[in-house]
Amino acid sequence: MTHSLHRKGTIENLNSDYVIIAMLAAGYNDKIPSIKKNHFRVGEILEKHGPVNILRKAGWGISSVIQACFDDIEKVKNILIELKKEELGISIVVSGLVSEIKKITTEIGLTMHTVHLSLGEFGKKSELPLEKVLEITTMCGHHCVSSQSVEYYIENIKKGKITIEKAAENLTKPCVCGIFNTKRAMNILKSILEDYK
Amino acid sequence: METLIITLEKCIGCGQCVIVCPTRSIKLNDDKAFIDKNTCVECSTCYRLSICPVNAIKKERLKMPRLVRNLFSDVITPHKLTGVPGRGTEEMKTNDITNRIGFSEIGFSIELGRPGLGTNVGEAEKFTIPLTKIGVTFEKDNPFTALIIDNKGHIREDLKNEIVLSLIVEFKVSYEKIPEVLNLIKRLDKEINTVFSVGIISRVKEDGEIPICDLLTRSGFPVRPNAKINVGLGNR
Repeated sequence: MTHSLHRKGTIENLNSDYVIIAMLAAGYNDKIPSIKKNHFRVGEILEKHGPVNILRKAGWGISSVIQACFDDIEKVKNILIELKKEELGISIVVSGLVSEIKKITTEIGLTMHTVHLSLGEFGKKSELPLEKVLEITTMCGHHCVSSQSVEYYIENIKKGKITIEKAAENLTKPCVCGIFNTKRAMNILKSILEDYK
Repeated sequence: METLIITLEKCIGCGQCVIVCPTRSIKLNDDKAFIDKNTCVECSTCYRLSICPVNAIKKERLKMPRLVRNLFSDVITPHKLTGVPGRGTEEMKTNDITNRIGFSEIGFSIELGRPGLGTNVGEAEKFTIPLTKIGVTFEKDNPFTALIIDNKGHIREDLKNEIVLSLIVEFKVSYEKIPEVLNLIKRLDKEINTVFSVGIISRVKEDGEIPICDLLTRSGFPVRPNAKINVGLGNR
């Protein structure tokens, strides 16, 4: 799933947006009971480090992924240190700024194994919503957050009908994966509203 | 599988479902909401969010070919083939265990319809037919690959007019064929009737170098600063 790959944004605001995915490999380790237990253990470690959002616990073990998003590369580093120490054997992917991930993996003695790079989008780009709207909607990797809901909340924030915090919270709800970064959405909404002043 | 309908007698025209629809397929007409069945991708977001204050959104049984919309658009539906919800696959996420992509090859994920415009299934033939001629290896565990019916890259005829939120054409090639694939992307950038997002999967050398980056930049394809990185913690 490319769902955490094509998150749009500037280097500045992407620096508060990291997704960690723990995935079982179908046909390799997904049916081994000890590995499934380790998978839950990864979820506990992610939870412990204060994610902005995380796949709800009721979903752990239903599909092959457990994932969360964080607003601080230091949290990601501390998580990787713990995962490396515990040797749980689960594939771990970090989605975010390559330069920052490269730095922390080097610091803690991990080797980047495989990378999924984004070349961005092509085709009828004129039909896409505004870039800032996409910065919010692309944080739900399955595209369950509609562009018109972002537009709706911007209008209602301007009219004083809803706070930025509540709007960001509502925008988070359609994303079932737990990787929509509510804090970053708030900051992007703030910057959109600044542009209107 | 079920299709979505709005029970008009119950609808109070509040418009909450209109706002949440990812494909803008729900509209208000005479203070009643209705779903445009041509553009609805059966993602069930409107239903799943339970935002209708009077429970007017219902599901009715869905069959092929329309069922394909739900399979590729509903994040809750796990694919029979992959067990992964939505339309994705493991791709590189478990490459430290599966070795799907080795050092001498490059993986591509071309996601038609992303971000958020959706696509006709048939539009993917603009990729699959020339890619077959180039000689790529399509990922067998990708749900979309199962829709390619022959060794010329044709897609099931009955599904071509169905619209989905997105679908991923996933394949790998040897290094020498990369320029042909990049040229195809450049051509279809102008010809495609939707948007598509391109991902490139590469092994990383021990010194941290990503060999493909240089070729991509020289070919006029700047790489975005954020990516997904498998950090090599998985083991068999």
